[in-house]
Amino acid sequence: MLRENMNYQYIEQLLDSYFACTTTLQEEQILRSFFSQEEVPGHLAQYAGLFNYEVSVKDEELGEDFDERMMARIEAAEPSKKPATKAHIVKLTTRHFAPFFKAAAVVAMALTIGRAAEHAIGEQEAEEQAGMMAVDPYIKSGDVHEAIRVKDVSQAEIKATNDSIVGVTTDDEIQ
Amino acid sequence: MDFRRDILPLKNIVFRTALRIVLSREEAEDIVQDTLLKLWEKRDELHKVENLEAFALTMARNLALDRTAKKEAENVSLEEDKHDRPDDTTGEADTPMTRLEASSFVAGIINSLPEKQRTILQLRDIEGKNYKEIANLLSISESDVKVTLFRARNTLKEKILQKRDLFL
Repeated sequence: MLRENMNYQYIEQLLDSYFACTTTLQEEQILRSFFSQEEVPGHLAQYAGLFNYEVSVKDEELGEDFDERMMARIEAAEPSKKPATKAHIVKLTTRHFAPFFKAAAVVAMALTIGRAAEHAIGEQEAEEQAGMMAVDPYIKSGDVHEAIRVKDVSQAEIKATNDSIVGVTTDDEIQ
Repeated sequence: MDFRRDILPLKNIVFRTALRIVLSREEAEDIVQDTLLKLWEKRDELHKVENLEAFALTMARNLALDRTAKKEAENVSLEEDKHDRPDDTTGEADTPMTRLEASSFVAGIINSLPEKQRTILQLRDIEGKNYKEIANLLSISESDVKVTLFRARNTLKEKILQKRDLFL
């Protein structure tokens, strides 16, 4: 059929370019896909091995058993290093998430204070508050959260907030 | 830098590259281990490296070539060198080959090519590197890459057609 011939003409052109080393990587992929088919026309079949070979070699891989041997060798080379590279199960404790909790605690407190402040300030007190707020340098710049953040937050307060957020007892030992 | 995350993933491309040179899976694996270990030992300097993969492949190539040189007790350079390595093929040219046989036939021809051609063929046709990348990896010119690739592919074509003609 003419249509089939045209398809093969394209492939044949690609093949010529392949052997002239003028094909692009994408065109080479087209050839590989073409030759990975079950049925390849007779006059082209001889090249199937060439493109199938290339596809099968790509699968030359080292498996997990290699990974184990490799990790063993790494640890043997540097036994004093902490096994940070070892994939071991880490029990999650609050100690690990301490920095995040601190940040979360600060934000939670800022929001709580902010909300409380909203409730506390009635219409009548609004103007008075505005006057007070004008004095504080941080609030002056309009950043209420920044003003709250610089307040001294004691460790006990953070810890209490941590526990209330997470609902776990602090475990100081890393298991 | 974490070994499992940053260095171990290079294992397969290093393996295939080494395998093209030493032609033995066992030796290739040794080279992968040596290369990855060396990279790990240098981890504090690796941030200076622009392309870690290229760096690893260059290291692996050098290790592989050193091994081959020691084995053959002669310098293996990147010069064109006709090796009279016997084909892995058997004399069974009487019937058309199955797909598997065709693949191993081609593998045999490739293994009989000079190392430079094998390597460039692998980097292009297996790893999908462009000519510029290959040139950088091997410290040769792009035209050298193309010429070498040309020789490799056309030797393959020639041998494939010879094989076909044997039973026409």
